[in-house]
Amino acid sequence: MNKLIRPSTLIWLVLMLLTVATYAIGEAGVGGTAMMLTVLGIAVLKVQMVANYFMELRHTRWLWRGIVLGWLVSVTGLIAIAYLTTIK
Amino acid sequence: MQYKSQAVAKPYFIAAIGLFLGQILFGLIMGYQYVVGDFLFPAIPFNVARMVHTNLLIVWILFGFMGSAYYLIPEEAETELFSPKLAWLMFWVFLVAGALTIVGYLTVPYATLASMTGNDILATMGREFLEQPLPTKVGIVIVALVFLFNISMTVLKGRKTSISLVLLLGLWGLAIFFLFSFYNPSNLVLDKYFWWWTVHLWVEGVWELILGAMLAFVLIKITGVDREVIEKWLYIIIAMTLITGIIGTGHHYFWIGTPEYWQWFGSVFSALEPIPFFMMTVFAFNMVNRRRREHPNKVATLWALGTGVMSFLGAGVWGFLHTLAPVNFYTHGTQITAAHGHMAFYGAYVMVNLTMISYAMPMLRGRSANSRASQLMEMWAFWLMTISIVCITLFLTAAGILQIWLQRMGTSPMSFMDAQDQIRIFYWAREFAGLVFLVGLVLYIWSFFFKNSEAQAAG
Amino acid sequence: MVVNFNYMNILINNSRCTRQIYATPPGDLAIWFFIFAELLAFGIFFVAYAFARAHNVALFDESQQHLNRTSGAINTLVLITGSYFMVRAVESIKQGYANQCARWIGAAIGFGALFLLIKSFEFYSKFSDGITLSTNTFYMFYLSLTIFHFMHVILGMVILVAVMIKAKQGGYSAENHTGVETGAAYWHMVDLLWIILFPLIYVIH
Repeated sequence: MNKLIRPSTLIWLVLMLLTVATYAIGEAGVGGTAMMLTVLGIAVLKVQMVANYFMELRHTRWLWRGIVLGWLVSVTGLIAIAYLTTIK
Repeated sequence: MQYKSQAVAKPYFIAAIGLFLGQILFGLIMGYQYVVGDFLFPAIPFNVARMVHTNLLIVWILFGFMGSAYYLIPEEAETELFSPKLAWLMFWVFLVAGALTIVGYLTVPYATLASMTGNDILATMGREFLEQPLPTKVGIVIVALVFLFNISMTVLKGRKTSISLVLLLGLWGLAIFFLFSFYNPSNLVLDKYFWWWTVHLWVEGVWELILGAMLAFVLIKITGVDREVIEKWLYIIIAMTLITGIIGTGHHYFWIGTPEYWQWFGSVFSALEPIPFFMMTVFAFNMVNRRRREHPNKVATLWALGTGVMSFLGAGVWGFLHTLAPVNFYTHGTQITAAHGHMAFYGAYVMVNLTMISYAMPMLRGRSANSRASQLMEMWAFWLMTISIVCITLFLTAAGILQIWLQRMGTSPMSFMDAQDQIRIFYWAREFAGLVFLVGLVLYIWSFFFKNSEAQAAG
Repeated sequence: MVVNFNYMNILINNSRCTRQIYATPPGDLAIWFFIFAELLAFGIFFVAYAFARAHNVALFDESQQHLNRTSGAINTLVLITGSYFMVRAVESIKQGYANQCARWIGAAIGFGALFLLIKSFEFYSKFSDGITLSTNTFYMFYLSLTIFHFMHVILGMVILVAVMIKAKQGGYSAENHTGVETGAAYWHMVDLLWIILFPLIYVIH
């Protein structure tokens, strides 16, 4: 096992980087479907990392991971649909 | 019965059932007045019958809660009641105050009653469900405080369990939120706003805690499932109830002059309100399936399961039906509300009291359960009352849908009274179902006196 | 591994997977039901925001420009870091280092307080502009979502303070630390919600 860096520290660093990425996209002032999907995608990734690593759901039965994943997919999916309906 | 002082629950239960019978009789009178408007006029006009029907409901449920607390708390705290004498005294105070209030409603016009009872000193009357004259309201507060003092002292000197703490929290909440019935701002919006702090935060807040505690107590007794399991469920249910119920008050604030954000708060949080009721159903069935003993009182188990199912249907499903603001825009104040009200009150608060009474009454009379024949009769009563309330709910829902269609949709909507004429058939059907309910209730009462001489001794 | 009622574990005997797979998530199972209920409530609010925006894109996009995206982003970093500290607290107690665990929890609480401070400045600026729940639909959502979340941060901090005190008193050990995991799970949820809330309210348009 790689002792160079703690797994949790690595996750933390990735989460920080992804947050900076979201912020940079926001500051760039771009809009549109691609931006919306990218930012939502980053959020999905981050939530999965928090749920599976920080909340340690990856060591549990699929039921528990499934509840969080199901919630995440429905919420972000519906958000994406709501945004897409506004684009003609 | 393990503690002598639990016996004080008995008069409370008897009074509760007596008032329940009165409530149903006035319900039938009013149901008939829906179709034959001048029935019993001018002796008992519709508004008086309605007031008596709803006030008796509240008072008998309170009697049931108090009786249940007096039965449950000594057993949970493993000690005698702090003061059985005080409990007896409060029983008579409450019964006499309640009876005088009803007599007042029936014998003098409401306005006369208001001026006779000092409504000009502090105007609190004239509001739905809180019609009680000032002295009655003060009496309720005194009875509630003395009652709370009595059971709180009992818990303090004895064992503290989750069930008694949740029950205490619910009962204290009940007393505290009743204080808003004394606050009557002249601004109509503010009046309604705070009126719901009593009405909503009772039935969709603190009463649910009482319900949960009573159900948990009976389930522990009849299933023998570990206390820790049942307490864990109770905590989760209570947390959910409070999260959804408190801000869920917003679903009453939709079209009464409050800010628009209540439409969002009310819709979102009250849409979640069925969850604790659903969990209560799962909880009841789960515990009965995991039972470790076969309690001889089968009918109490039936009532407990019935409470789970019917409270979920009545409060959860029928509540959700019209809780979202865009739907409520059309259904507000129609027979849909009446349908929900009937099934929710029966499923949650009537049934949990009957569960408790069914479980405790045989114990109070010195046996672990009533005879088989008596239990069979009570099961008939269960099904008659439950099925007829389902029918009442369905008839009123149908009436409500038709009412909305005729009166609130389309390009040339009908007037209120014209629409009422069109839905008479459902009112007749509802009245018939109400008669079946009365038969069920009579059977319920009769079952306690039926063939119980050979019943087994207390175990 | 101690087996108590809340934390039953099952060793799945599978040739490919020799890791322990737990029947229930870490911490008290009750907190998980609570967490799922919270997720559901916030989830409905997030979706409601998106659909309300679909009805009035111009208003939402215009109002969103007045939010302080920088402070929102910094707050995201603060919460994620606070979450990371709780992970370290759990890792510490699993090795039996109770004092180290308490210090990590203290750091997590400190970052929670930092979040509240930054957020308060944001609220102060909005309130002094005369913005209320009734200003418009966007601000209704912005204020209610962030205020609800704000209260959850406070609740999380209260839970963590209780856990920290017990950890300091030696109430947890390598074998028995359900309480730390319970507090951590709730704290991570507060972070998780903000991870969706920030892009949704502050960034996406």
